Amino acid sequence: MDFIYTEEQRMLADSLRRLVDQEWAFARRRARQAATALDPQAWASLAELGVLGLNIGQDYGGFGEVPASLLPVHVELGRGLVSEPVIPSAVMSAALVDAAGGPARERWLPRIASGEAILSVAYQEPGRRYDARPQDCRAAPQGGGWRLDGAKHLVWHGGAATAWLVSARAEDGETLLLAVPSDTAGVRITDTPTLDRARCARLDFDGAALPADALLARGEAAGQALAQALQWGTAALCAHAAGAMERLLEITADYLRTRKQFGQPLASFQALQHKLAEMLELVENSHAAVYYAAWALDADAADAALAASVAKSMLNESSKRVCGEAIQVHGGIGYTWEYDLHLYWKRAKHLEPLYGDTVYHRERVLEESLAQHATV
Amino acid sequence: MNLTWTPQERRFREEVRAFAEAGVPPELRAKVLAHQRLERDDYVRWHNILADRGWGAPSWPKEYGGTGWNALQRLIFEVECFKAGAPRLLPFGLSMIGPVLMKYGSPAQRERFLPRIIRVEDWWCQGYSEPGSGSDLASLKTRAERDGDHYVVNGQKTWTTLAQYADWMFCLVRTDTEARPQRGISMLLLDMRSPGVTVRPIRTLDGGHDVNEVWLENVRVPVENLVGEENQGWTYAKYLLGHERTGIAGLGHCHRELGVLKRMAAQAQSGGRPLLSDPRMRDRISRIEVDIMALEMLLLRVAANNGGTPGPEASVLKIRGSEIQQDLAMLQMEVAGPDAWPYDPEWMFAEADDHGPGPEMAAAAGAGYADMRKTTIYGGTTEVQKGIIARLMLGL
Repeated sequence: MDFIYTEEQRMLADSLRRLVDQEWAFARRRARQAATALDPQAWASLAELGVLGLNIGQDYGGFGEVPASLLPVHVELGRGLVSEPVIPSAVMSAALVDAAGGPARERWLPRIASGEAILSVAYQEPGRRYDARPQDCRAAPQGGGWRLDGAKHLVWHGGAATAWLVSARAEDGETLLLAVPSDTAGVRITDTPTLDRARCARLDFDGAALPADALLARGEAAGQALAQALQWGTAALCAHAAGAMERLLEITADYLRTRKQFGQPLASFQALQHKLAEMLELVENSHAAVYYAAWALDADAADAALAASVAKSMLNESSKRVCGEAIQVHGGIGYTWEYDLHLYWKRAKHLEPLYGDTVYHRERVLEESLAQHATV
Repeated sequence: MNLTWTPQERRFREEVRAFAEAGVPPELRAKVLAHQRLERDDYVRWHNILADRGWGAPSWPKEYGGTGWNALQRLIFEVECFKAGAPRLLPFGLSMIGPVLMKYGSPAQRERFLPRIIRVEDWWCQGYSEPGSGSDLASLKTRAERDGDHYVVNGQKTWTTLAQYADWMFCLVRTDTEARPQRGISMLLLDMRSPGVTVRPIRTLDGGHDVNEVWLENVRVPVENLVGEENQGWTYAKYLLGHERTGIAGLGHCHRELGVLKRMAAQAQSGGRPLLSDPRMRDRISRIEVDIMALEMLLLRVAANNGGTPGPEASVLKIRGSEIQQDLAMLQMEVAGPDAWPYDPEWMFAEADDHGPGPEMAAAAGAGYADMRKTTIYGGTTEVQKGIIARLMLGL
């Protein structure tokens, strides 16, 4: 057992940190977030560095890195609050397409790896919280292809996507997964900003017509592909959050060393020292949980679902706490729009509704662990 | 990065598990799970069972009669033994003075003392804290003055765990009152049967008796029982505390008590259904389970990266482990609910089948709830650990 990045992982993390420090520095990141469309240059730079094809097989134009490589990459992206659709497209959609198998791999994976295609998984429906089973979004056979009706919402970067991977219910109740290009007729896109300065979309399908080969998977295979995508997305998102927390702790410690009150640096006040020590505990704990989740994605690990839920239920809470405390110890400056702190705080809060909140994941942890013990 | 257990590690876990499940005497297991007090013979018995198997010193190198296990094996061993309801290993010899003597002791001291630790032929206790020196240990006042071939020791130690059974104490004393506090301290090995040693019990809030006051009046300690060099004791004391802190995370304890908690919640009925089916209770149990898994990963990372010798991250482990132990005890108390109201400290000493009017686990919950208050205080309080983190990890 070892917890050390491989040489390649370390080098990738180093180059990513340089890129992120430069391209996602304060002003540039803000300018990009103020624009409503994706910055093609930023997206291309991520593709060039190998971020988008990280875990995609070499046969499909990717780098074929092991799942655990998500950790160094998304920790670095999180440190810089990189908001581009890396997780929805290169992590979650790639995992879904890969799990579904078949000719769709050839069609989508090379384009995800190159950044040419931006995909997002549309699996949530209004009024159904985190339930991943499709209910009111229906797909029915039509003229040798498919007809899609109903709504999906909270599709992360759904407006920037060139295609969505949509879960729908067949007439017989089976789950279907369909690839839907964003220029398909009969789709209304409602694109909105999010609290943390990213974007999400609601998709209303009204008799959208799709060819037969839009179908990626059905039935149990579809459920498994979706579950796999969620586990990958959860692990990457948790690594992102862990990176953001780590960076925020550095920013806060730096501030305490330089800011003076009552004639001495804030760092000399024990009340503040203890608060930062508590934050560090949470950051360390969170990293430990994320290591477990990223590693468990390996196909042989039986407890990937458990690991993802452990990480998510912990990161949901610890990131909110760390980011909240960072604002608190900064005092007034931390409360301003101009300072970067609130963006970390909002990202931390935004983590929660993606892929399941704390209550949802804690229940899954207990279900999984009781099931494992029952079989021992 | 590779977090897969190797086939050897898996086999090792199976081997330890099988041994522990068969090897822990049922009456000892019952006492441990019921949070009853273990007595001298209980501990000695378990140490000897392990020694018979060749596992009497899991953390020691082979040259001193240890197993030569690496840090991961030691962690597996701890968890599996605890899960099987084994008594904890006495830390005073194996984890505290043993490693100090290996590093700083004289050949004669190593030869004399180390072999007798494994089967608890010598029971050691830790003479560190004093009435005026708790968190500020370096301010200790117990004096040792040279008189020919002896030191003459005068002072008072306190919070001395299980000193009522001890044959020997490793004792921090002041040998130079002029130097700054850390520089004038020495470590002596003190025979508890020496004239002038008085042990008085301190009863703790659970009604139990684990800790003691030890009075030292003109106690004569031969100079050959000085560890290392005079006035260098603070170095040895800190080395020892570093060792103490990894075990202090209590991962094995946490795993065992989580199992107890789940069994309690499955047995306890609320509104005609097991409490384990109550979503609010499930959420809280799950939260602790998540905390324990993260603690385990933290420990594994230290074990795998540093060969088990933690730096300042030991403070993180100590804080997390001690808080989780308290959380577990508090939740067990809530699961027991009204049944935990009746509580008599005597039940902690009684035979395993005599535990008061309620279900057995209710009495156990009360004992654990009271006992676990100590965890955030001993071995450096949570606040002391936070100070270490702020200084050494955050550079504040």
